[in-house]
Amino acid sequence: MKIMKHKLLFCLSLLSLVVFMSACEDEKYAIPTLPQELRNDVIKRTLGPNVVGLNIEFAYGIAIPKSLGKLVSAEVEASIAGAEATYLDNKSYSTNGSGQDVGVEVGSKSVNNGNKTTVTFTKDTIAATLRYFYRIPAAAKGKEVSFKFSATASNGQTVSYSMGPYKIAEMDMVLDLTVKDNDASYISIEDMAVYNAAAAATNAAKIDLVYLYRVIPNITFTHALVAPSAKTYLPGVTLPAGVNRSAKINKVWALRDFHLARLQYGIYIDDIDFQQLDLSNSPDYAINLRAESGVWVETADGKYRAYIYINSIDNTGKSARISIKRYTMK
Amino acid sequence: MVKYIKLMSTLFFTLALVACKEEFPIDEDGLLITTRSQCYVSNFEMLGSDFQTVRTKAAVIDTVAQTINVEVLYGTDLKNLYPQFSLVTDAKLDPKITGKVDFSDLANPKKYTVVSGNRKVRKEYTVNVSVQKL
Repeated sequence: MKIMKHKLLFCLSLLSLVVFMSACEDEKYAIPTLPQELRNDVIKRTLGPNVVGLNIEFAYGIAIPKSLGKLVSAEVEASIAGAEATYLDNKSYSTNGSGQDVGVEVGSKSVNNGNKTTVTFTKDTIAATLRYFYRIPAAAKGKEVSFKFSATASNGQTVSYSMGPYKIAEMDMVLDLTVKDNDASYISIEDMAVYNAAAAATNAAKIDLVYLYRVIPNITFTHALVAPSAKTYLPGVTLPAGVNRSAKINKVWALRDFHLARLQYGIYIDDIDFQQLDLSNSPDYAINLRAESGVWVETADGKYRAYIYINSIDNTGKSARISIKRYTMK
Repeated sequence: MVKYIKLMSTLFFTLALVACKEEFPIDEDGLLITTRSQCYVSNFEMLGSDFQTVRTKAAVIDTVAQTINVEVLYGTDLKNLYPQFSLVTDAKLDPKITGKVDFSDLANPKKYTVVSGNRKVRKEYTVNVSVQKL
């Protein structure tokens, strides 16, 4: 019985040793075999909502084994033709030691033909990453856009890669309008433009806000965006005839939308933010505005909602630089 | 051996009983009711709709008269304000502040009650808001 027990113990020890040994055994690494064909891949480089006038950027990588031939052409087909500034870069980029992208020209400048953008390779190239910049056209507003990337090699092989669909925002955007006290101080959300008093008189029904800068002793007034209806907060302003609209205005601090501010903050205002905005209780003025602050605005007729971002202020020049995102309510 | 087991079981049973005996009373908000009877506001802040302060200077808190006098900047939107109360340890506020508060009715100032840690002392504070004059 005792011998039996010992035998069993021995067997068990041996078994565990074997298990232990085999567990530690390294599996031999095998270099993956390269598929002998033309291959491709795409990544999207831009983030945030797709607004008309901005680019959607992609990086399109293509490669073929040297023994099979070389690259002949690369093409991108968009479901809605891009604006004129759409292009496929004819350079292949790599990043150098200091983090800079260095481009090597590999083909002729891209050609836009309807929905298609093509680069024809002029150098003997077996691998390249081309960047595609789709300038969002006004025609795509509120629609979805998808892309088909394709490439051809000298051996006749073709590959393709589909991306999207991507929703194009309903918003409109205008950057860097300069408003100046007692001059270009009348803002129209409908036109997304700034007028002086004379032009404001002819567009009186569209003026939603007045910009002014005041230094008043004992209080902080400084830069302000005030609806023409809020006379209390328009000291020393003589409104042009007919400029009398109201608006709902809500002050915001540190909402630095990436598109408007163009700073390092990854914050994006999208259509949904305007849809869900509730300004029903907001006043018709905002005073003491600082750089990098902003205001949500709803026009008197409720037709437009906008976010006005203050890019910079100039106390001596009594002016400010503003950028606007606007959404048309349905 | 059986003796030991019996002894151990008795010990465990006693321990379990002791552990379950102590109860910590909590109120309707799930907050601990303590023995503290202090009941006052220690600091007061007022934020605008952009979450920046709208006070012109520190609010004056009178713990005897139970008033908070705060002057806000010229042009402050009184309908959309976020008051912030700092209270003595374990105290709580009634009603709770859950969002924007409308302080625009200056003739009828808002009232908030501070409830002490033992939930036995209640003191009603009046928040008097005044707007900076031109």
